Amino acid sequence: MVYWILLQKSFMTNLQYKVAHLINNAASAIFGFVFIAIWAGVLQGKEQSSPYDVMDMTYYIAASQCILWLSGFLTAGLNIQTGVRNGAISFELARPSNFFLYVTSQEAGRLVYNFFFRSVPIGLVFALTVGFYVPQHFSSYLFICISVLLAIIISVNLHYLVGISACWTTEVAWAHFVNFTLLAGLGGQMVPIDFLPAPLSTLTQYLPFAGAIYYPVMIFLEKATNDVIWIQLFWAITLTLVNLWITERARQKLEIQGG
Amino acid sequence: MNLYLKLLSGSLRSRMQYKMNFLVSSLSYGLIMAVDFVLLAAILQRFDDVKGWNLYEVGLLYGISSVAITLYRVFGVEIHNFERYMVEGEFDSLLIRPVSPLSLLLTKNLDLSRIGGTAQGVIILVISIIGLSIDNFDRFLLLLYLPISIASGVVICFSLGLLTATLAFWTQRIKDFQTFTLYAPFNAANYPMNIYPGWLKIIFFTVIPVGFMNYTPILYLLDKGGSIWNLAWPPAVALVFLFLSLRFWYFGIRHYHSTGS
Repeated sequence: MVYWILLQKSFMTNLQYKVAHLINNAASAIFGFVFIAIWAGVLQGKEQSSPYDVMDMTYYIAASQCILWLSGFLTAGLNIQTGVRNGAISFELARPSNFFLYVTSQEAGRLVYNFFFRSVPIGLVFALTVGFYVPQHFSSYLFICISVLLAIIISVNLHYLVGISACWTTEVAWAHFVNFTLLAGLGGQMVPIDFLPAPLSTLTQYLPFAGAIYYPVMIFLEKATNDVIWIQLFWAITLTLVNLWITERARQKLEIQGG
Repeated sequence: MNLYLKLLSGSLRSRMQYKMNFLVSSLSYGLIMAVDFVLLAAILQRFDDVKGWNLYEVGLLYGISSVAITLYRVFGVEIHNFERYMVEGEFDSLLIRPVSPLSLLLTKNLDLSRIGGTAQGVIILVISIIGLSIDNFDRFLLLLYLPISIASGVVICFSLGLLTATLAFWTQRIKDFQTFTLYAPFNAANYPMNIYPGWLKIIFFTVIPVGFMNYTPILYLLDKGGSIWNLAWPPAVALVFLFLSLRFWYFGIRHYHSTGS
């Protein structure tokens, strides 16, 4: 299966940089410590007026720093824009393989690598210092896997959408910035979305961004009902269909230009 | 100096060839930083303060730190992206010019899209200074001191950037170090240092001295502790750190071996 091979190759490529990545992990953990310190400072003496205490927030930040490497820090535009700029996209779209799978399977390889060389080490650092939550119910582990998988699908699709937009705009740097900000800000990377001011806290629950970070973290902490997986599933399917449709439009646009 | 201005205006003009792209990218960069602050405001709206610092007081720290790092990103773009010179072997071409490599790097390019971030930092500063409940004399002192604090911050940031760039002489790639030496510390400096555990505080007041640029002087200016000496620390630390980083930079250049290809 060609997509499986692409996934493996992309995993191997990343393996070349593992020392640099391990240094970067230390920085990622420091970001986590800073966020935890902010929450500890904010909640000190006010825990009774908050739905979460200091320990809850420590676990929350620790888990979200780990999942960020699976559904937050993806390749900008999945590198589709590079192909658009140097013209390689015309070959890539003309290949008999599915372009959407061709691009996403390479990113998947990188994410598998991230899991072992980013998420797990960072999680270990937190486990040894401030503590890391261990889900109590056996069934939770199944739902965590499903939820994280859906989170990855949602995020890969959001990044694909940014990348494929290059067929019309050529420049995606700012689109990536906006996408990432929304993902981190409205996805609950630092602030759980139920802490956001009133209209926003309700609205964000139904946006795809929450499905990428907030919901998997809450399921991991066993603080959300498993029903939220339906919201994730909805976005995973919708975004995939939208992207397949847009890819088709991109291909047609390419044929019109003719080269 | 004359040469510097000439080189700068050249790079400015080349940037302005793409006005629309410039506007969109600076706007979006400013927007991102604003979202960060809005989230913080949302937390503090609900919980009043973080270890005794209210929103406007944190805003002061936040504004200084973000103006400092974004000004560095505007003027120090080639230092920041220095690994390119190592990886692509372009550094040799700088060494044969009659001007020092550092001045060449500083004048070669400006990343004006980061100006949006600076503007956003200034806006946060303005809001915070207006919102603070202090008397007018203290406010006046604060305004007077602000440029010194920001300038010290830019110098500290530049020095950290240069130290990190020098590492490239040995390691070639530095992007992963920058998260460690620049992004994480300046993100931490957005908030009061007293919230951090001891070992982090030690780092931020020694090897990566970002705590001095805003926390130390603001502590005194907002009457939260310290003595008048707190005001002398930021420029002093900045100058010492600049000196050290320049020494390290020249040490690095002496040990530079071209790829030879």
